[in-house]
Amino acid sequence: MTFLAPGYLAVAGGLAGVVVALHFIVTREPATVPLPTARFAPDRPVRARSRTLRFSDALLLACRTGLILAAGAALAQPIPLPERNPLARIVLADRSGSVADPAEVRDSVRALVSSGDALVAFDSAASVGSLSAALVSGLRAAVSMRDAADSLELAIVSAFGGDEIDQATDSIRALWPGGIRLVRVAARPDTLMQPAVFVVGGADDPLRYALPGAATAPDAEVRVVRGVPGGADSAWAGARNHALVLWPALSPGAAVDTVGAVSAGDAVVVAPFARGRREADGAGRIVARWLDGAPAAVETAHGAGCIRRVDIPVPSVGDLVLDSRFQRLASRLTGRCGSSARSPGLDGPRLAALAGPGKPARVAATSIGRLRVVRSPLTPWLLAGALALGLGDLLLRRRRPLRMPEAPS
Amino acid sequence: MRQLTSGALLDAIRGVHWPARRVIGGAFQGAHRSSRVGSSPEFMQYRAYQQGDDLSKIDWKLFGRTDRVAIRLAHDDSSLRTMVVVDASASMAFPPDTRAKWELAASVGLALVAIAHGDNDPAGISVAGGNGTVTLPPRTRRGTVANALQLLLETTPAGSSPLAPALAAVRNSRRVAVVSDFLSDADALLDRARELVAGGREVYAVHVVAREELDPRLRGDVVSDPEDAAIRRPLDSAALGEYREAFAAWREGLAARWRGAGVSYTLATTDEPPERVVRRIAAP
Repeated sequence: MTFLAPGYLAVAGGLAGVVVALHFIVTREPATVPLPTARFAPDRPVRARSRTLRFSDALLLACRTGLILAAGAALAQPIPLPERNPLARIVLADRSGSVADPAEVRDSVRALVSSGDALVAFDSAASVGSLSAALVSGLRAAVSMRDAADSLELAIVSAFGGDEIDQATDSIRALWPGGIRLVRVAARPDTLMQPAVFVVGGADDPLRYALPGAATAPDAEVRVVRGVPGGADSAWAGARNHALVLWPALSPGAAVDTVGAVSAGDAVVVAPFARGRREADGAGRIVARWLDGAPAAVETAHGAGCIRRVDIPVPSVGDLVLDSRFQRLASRLTGRCGSSARSPGLDGPRLAALAGPGKPARVAATSIGRLRVVRSPLTPWLLAGALALGLGDLLLRRRRPLRMPEAPS
Repeated sequence: MRQLTSGALLDAIRGVHWPARRVIGGAFQGAHRSSRVGSSPEFMQYRAYQQGDDLSKIDWKLFGRTDRVAIRLAHDDSSLRTMVVVDASASMAFPPDTRAKWELAASVGLALVAIAHGDNDPAGISVAGGNGTVTLPPRTRRGTVANALQLLLETTPAGSSPLAPALAAVRNSRRVAVVSDFLSDADALLDRARELVAGGREVYAVHVVAREELDPRLRGDVVSDPEDAAIRRPLDSAALGEYREAFAAWREGLAARWRGAGVSYTLATTDEPPERVVRRIAAP
């Protein structure tokens, strides 16, 4: 049983207490009866007497206190809600490939989840999780749980990789009215550190400006071939967990059309790219896409490593390659196998923004989702009871006998 | 007032006479022995004729037998102008539910008027209440009792009106009866009664007391005087004994003072039938 407006019940309780106190505290004026020969009675002061609790008085007291309490309970609108938990926790567990050790996620979830809580595992089949999708799932779970708990708490167990958030994350996060408990687990190492990249090409290759940290030694984990790859390159990629990036330079006159933008994970570059013949339409994991959705980079497994074909032209004119957005795009496209679009983990301020201000606070269940009009089924009955008690009070007062001098026997 | 309107009271006092307590000197013919020498059939004595006597009063048969001219003297019967003063103050409306005191006072007053009227005495009634004093002057004509009954029926005891002025206004009546509880102005009333007695009037005092006044059963309550709101006292079991003693002493003193003043005092309680009270007054 819960009350939609418990304040009324508290006020009614206070009033009932006052009524009970007055019933026992207030003295009554003694009954005065006419007697023509009153002058012969001894002249003594008239004193008020405390009220004696007669049976009719007890009934009156019960009627009046019952009336007040029933009216207060009716206004408080009691709602019978069996098995309503005071707190329910919604745990969003990251099961994507961003997490280094799923057992760590499991242990963290066990520490958080208890009976009545909800567990949402997101992106278990994806290599990169999406916090936006997870938050949407959490909000839906909260809406379904708002009637089963008084307060809700949202917790996210994730590696919080930089590629797990997108442009919609902040907007979706704002839909949760309170703080979020963030439990960070270890991320896969390749998501945190950019591997060494070796560019096979001319010294004036503009891609080198986009990859300022490119290694000079050929023993890097990622090899970028700007021309035609040879068999040694393929053998190198398939021998170990190496990534061979085939990023040919677009020959003049090979342009088929132009496109306005390209994106790889969170790296987006808006520029008039001259797109050549599409070579990346084959099977494989799409690492980058053009603005119109066409794949711009595709990665295919090759032995122990992978071969990643990039059809994005590197402009040799202009300073686009010096732009940080293009450099980030190049960095994404020259990552390890399976993580070409990943970014380093979220930094402290970004995590703080995701967690929200202050400690993870409990959120009132009524503040989640659309307000639902709840009507108490007991209110009309309580009001009827109060009315009946009021009538009983009147009847009891009318039946109280008028004290008159007794007739002579 | 059922007893008044039913006629049972008048039936109960039928045949009751209210004779004067002593010879009176009234000039009108009535049922009471007069101090005047009159021409009633009852012979008193002979007296020698004196100049100026009425020749028609000479007993010619005696003159024929004895040659003495004598006047035949006889007793004269005189009427007794009677006034009944009834107290209609608020204290008479007690107990509040039955108003037994007023019932008894009105019944006794009406019965006295009826008895006096039945004796061919001019009878009147004066009711002194909260609305002033209403007086029906003494009359012998038919309807006097009915008028008195109507006046009593229309009267509601209320207020606190002194009775002494009403008693002082009936000096021309030779017989005055006061029906009251004597709780308002007993001393002034007694002074007026003394004056009436000194003037040769017959004064009767009928003291009406309710049974509830003699033995109040008000345990732990406060009693108040209906005519004086300032009198408001607790009357519990401890005070009841003192109350009874004080009330009894007051009644005894009142009776002694009235009787000492030459007034016929009668105590009437509400548990006594009014016809019995009237018989005690009229034929003590």
